[in-house]
Amino acid sequence: MKLELKNLSCGYGRQNVVDGISLEINEGEVIGLLGANGCGKTTLIKTILGLLPPHGGEVLLDGKNIKHWTSAQIARVIGYIPQMHTPPFPFQVLDVVLMGRTAHIKPFASPSSRDVKIAEQALEMLNISYLRNRIYTEISGGERQLVLIARALTQQPKILIMDEPTSSLDFGNQIKVLSHVKQLAGLDLAVLMSCHFPEHAFLYSTRVVLLNEGRILHSGPPAEAITAERLKILYGVEVEIISVRNRLNKELKVCIPSGYQIAEGNLTPAPKSDQIYALA
Amino acid sequence: MIVLILIFILSFVLGRYSVPPGQLLEVLATRVLPLEQRWSDTVETVIFQVRLPRILAAIMIGAALSTAGAAYQGMFKNPLVSPDILGASAGAGFGAALGIYFSFSMIGIQIMAFIGGLAAVALTYGISLRIRHDPMLALVLSGIMIGSLFTAAISGIKYIADPYDKLPAITFWLMGSLASINPQDIYMVVVPIMAGMILLFLLRWRLNVMAMGEEEAQVLGLNTRRLKAVVILCCTLMTAASVSVSGLIGWVGLVIPHLARMIVGPNYQVLLPASILLGGGYLLLVDDLARLLASMEIPLGILTALIGVPFFLYLLLNSKWGWK
Repeated sequence: MKLELKNLSCGYGRQNVVDGISLEINEGEVIGLLGANGCGKTTLIKTILGLLPPHGGEVLLDGKNIKHWTSAQIARVIGYIPQMHTPPFPFQVLDVVLMGRTAHIKPFASPSSRDVKIAEQALEMLNISYLRNRIYTEISGGERQLVLIARALTQQPKILIMDEPTSSLDFGNQIKVLSHVKQLAGLDLAVLMSCHFPEHAFLYSTRVVLLNEGRILHSGPPAEAITAERLKILYGVEVEIISVRNRLNKELKVCIPSGYQIAEGNLTPAPKSDQIYALA
Repeated sequence: MIVLILIFILSFVLGRYSVPPGQLLEVLATRVLPLEQRWSDTVETVIFQVRLPRILAAIMIGAALSTAGAAYQGMFKNPLVSPDILGASAGAGFGAALGIYFSFSMIGIQIMAFIGGLAAVALTYGISLRIRHDPMLALVLSGIMIGSLFTAAISGIKYIADPYDKLPAITFWLMGSLASINPQDIYMVVVPIMAGMILLFLLRWRLNVMAMGEEEAQVLGLNTRRLKAVVILCCTLMTAASVSVSGLIGWVGLVIPHLARMIVGPNYQVLLPASILLGGGYLLLVDDLARLLASMEIPLGILTALIGVPFFLYLLLNSKWGWK
């Protein structure tokens, strides 16, 4: 299935945050959406999901405008993985994953054994079956993010959208979650993922879209699209992009800040703890 | 379930006018079996005209308030929400006070209370739709405002009411009691309470999804706007109907969903039935205490708070589950 944005403008109230974006995402692709805070990544995602009405342009699924689709219709095609969050109630992991079936279940019905099976398969695919009966609020952040991915898979969508899926995860969990994202593209899903780190885009996306002040600055394969100049425009900092080779002799790229040099021997003394408390 | 049935039977037997359990069974049995009457008419009156309506009312109202509280707590993603958050109780209280002030009949007062409760929530909901902000926050804020407004209006009516006649009537009504329940009251409230409860029971799976937050629920395929309206309608029907016959009974709708959540967990598929059973049993028990503790009837609203608050504090201090 193909997700297409045609000259899409959107924002809150009357103001346009995103201005005239056109984009096409096909199955098997992982699109990395890069841009500074406030550039319109989240606004764009919310509009695609139908949470915000577009100000102009269209969101098309296989050529069909989804403007008047119900939320259930959209949810059967587009799965969404939010940033990590904590719900106020201690639901069981399986119950959380089952919520992905909502769009497939009739209003007055509860999940059937078939729905449970689909949810269990999703847990299995992500190797987290052991979490099935645990309490969602008591597992680690990385595990919770994987549960949310399982929930999105339970929707049986054609397109997956993730809003900074790793934003509050530690180093190890970021890698664990992102490596599953690559696996998802292999399921003939189209993945759109907004991310914080250009390096993640290098590693895990097939194409990147650079979003700057609500417009697309550039889009293309990561190695070509992400350059020091463009990152400077996006984030306003000097960066060097360096190629390295890993053990398997595969070329990888890393970004190193270069504009701000650390002054040696010129450090102000760290504040004492009581001063920190005074500041707090 | 078994505990509820036990309390149910016990409630018949206990009271100023004692009815031996054997006699109770006989009297109840005549309704289906042609038995010879071996008891006084007083016994029959006590059982069918006084205790049975009161017992049914206590169970229904307890169940209704707990169900409404449980549903709201999920919808507002906040375990500290009670069924009167949108002003249903304050509106009903105002309606009743107005009815008492104008010397309406008992039925008239109840209808006024019911309409007052519905009107207050309708006002809250209407205002919240016009606030361009987080919709849930808008609902809560307008609920608090409308609630205060109606509470002020109640005070206003009390102030101008006849201090020897109307004022005590209003005050006692607001304290909440099931002492004056009669069979007709049951017929009146059974429809709105059952309608609300059955609808919420059918929607219980969707309440789970709603508890994840409105935006997320919508992305998962829920028509959150419609579900929200239906939940508010159900809860308001149940709360307004309850308050219209019983007066203000606080804390049941807040404490019981908590207790139920601690026992069976937060999944509404089991939480909702558990809230119904526990709520019914709890209010029946407290109402029995209200009848029996002192030689004079204690207003139910006072007792639910006196028992509910320490109990709630105990749960908060001793729970491992809590709500986090």
